[in-house]
Amino acid sequence: MKQLLFIILAFFSIQVSAQQKQFSKDDHGKFIYYKVVDSQMLSKDTLLQRAKAFVNLAYKKSMLQESITDSSILAKGTMVIDKTILVAGHPSGEVSYHFVFEARNGKYRFWLTDLLFIPYQRDRYGNFVATTKIGVPLERTPGKLNAGAWKDILNSTYSKIEKFGDDFKKYLANNRVEKAKKKAESISTKTW
Amino acid sequence: MKKLLTAIFAMASTTCVLAQETTTSPLEISGSVDTYFKYDFAKNPLNGKTSFVTDHNSVSLGMIDIALKKKTGKASFVGELSFGPRGQSQSIPDAAAGGSSFNIQNLYVNYDFTDQFSMTAGYMGTFIGYEVISPVGNFNYSTSYLFTNGPFQNAGIKATYKFSDKVSLMAGLFNDWNVYSATRGVSAVGGQLMVAPVEGWTAYINALSGAGFGGYGTIIDLTTAYQITEKFKLGLNAANYDIKDSSVPGSYVGGAIYPQYAVLDAVTIGLRGEYFKYKEAGAVPATSFTAVTLTANIKSGGLTFIPEVRLDHNSDKPFFNKSGAAAPNGGQFSLAAVYAF
Repeated sequence: MKQLLFIILAFFSIQVSAQQKQFSKDDHGKFIYYKVVDSQMLSKDTLLQRAKAFVNLAYKKSMLQESITDSSILAKGTMVIDKTILVAGHPSGEVSYHFVFEARNGKYRFWLTDLLFIPYQRDRYGNFVATTKIGVPLERTPGKLNAGAWKDILNSTYSKIEKFGDDFKKYLANNRVEKAKKKAESISTKTW
Repeated sequence: MKKLLTAIFAMASTTCVLAQETTTSPLEISGSVDTYFKYDFAKNPLNGKTSFVTDHNSVSLGMIDIALKKKTGKASFVGELSFGPRGQSQSIPDAAAGGSSFNIQNLYVNYDFTDQFSMTAGYMGTFIGYEVISPVGNFNYSTSYLFTNGPFQNAGIKATYKFSDKVSLMAGLFNDWNVYSATRGVSAVGGQLMVAPVEGWTAYINALSGAGFGGYGTIIDLTTAYQITEKFKLGLNAANYDIKDSSVPGSYVGGAIYPQYAVLDAVTIGLRGEYFKYKEAGAVPATSFTAVTLTANIKSGGLTFIPEVRLDHNSDKPFFNKSGAAAPNGGQFSLAAVYAF
């Protein structure tokens, strides 16, 4: 009984915290997820290399680099938005975005904007697939009939983008080359 | 047949080595529930010549449909069951159980050998045609003659190769139509070429030859949809089915067009115009239907209301008027509620 109560409370607290998250708007009135990160120890070149690896290796299935300069990267990508009921659910759509990264010595900033939602529908084989190729801007205010569903989509998108941002910050904070070298070391049981 | 199977498995095992690991997905649970009211203008339920939406002046059930999907690495399965008239007595495989059991919509396993190449085995929604059994997959609630007369589902094994996002090819071996186990062996060969010439436009050219309705036959089918603007979508389906024994009725040819326009965010209006002809078979003459269906989809979250008016015509008078006499025209109004989760 206690466990059940805990699960219910946890579920509602997740719901409440999800509802509190909201996108900020940029100068053009578009939703934006914007972060400035201090990274005192890292040079501009290192940050750029790591950001480039993030786009082209870590997220290569969902991101595509559009352009790169000596201090910035422009990419576009998509992320799948899930409709979740406790532990089970299914994809409800995908959100496409533009990703901008700019680096300076000791700090960097990145943002995601141009967020477009494409709904999924279950196809004849039971798979969820895009119903259209034309996305709907997330800033659009839906009619009363779909306000609740749209709010869920916004909350879910924000959570996904927040996780994406955390992944990106962690990726840039870690040296992948050293990590890979450490992984390759083998342990000998012959001597001890 | 053995050589073909050997070749497919050899190709599969070769490409297996090249495959890359993908992540595990959580268990997906989805489904739908639908119910409807229909009023036949001649007050005769026999005027419905296509699948489902059978009852007149009755609030009736469609089906409850529950689907599970799970992907672990490169392997996945889909299991989908339906209960209720639309998924039981009105779906062909359940006839053997007296219409009192359930219908398997999908039950298959899939393996992605590479990002391009996958194989699927089991019982699947057919790859032929525009419309499907699930009301969630259709815009119109009533169904077309092309859907009613074509296969609903196919059991078999198929291989799909994706050349790019714009072109893919599927080839497979299948049982006869709409059966869980083959009655005439693995006796049909099918294929599908998918092309997406421009963004928003997808076309499927399908072929299935072997044991089917009325004996051995070949069906060629074109199914295409084009999202021309944010608000306007155009769909098209055309098919030709020839039974090898030309004296057996059931061969047909037809086409249907599906223009749809979103008048509001939550409201889309659509039309289905169809021409369908049963071909001459021995002493049985050819007969043709034309049908126009005007449908609206009004969405609120997972719920879709579907008001619909349908008019059918056949000069051979297969319909009935109010007094029960043969008539060339049939018509109905229906209001359906479909909830997808």
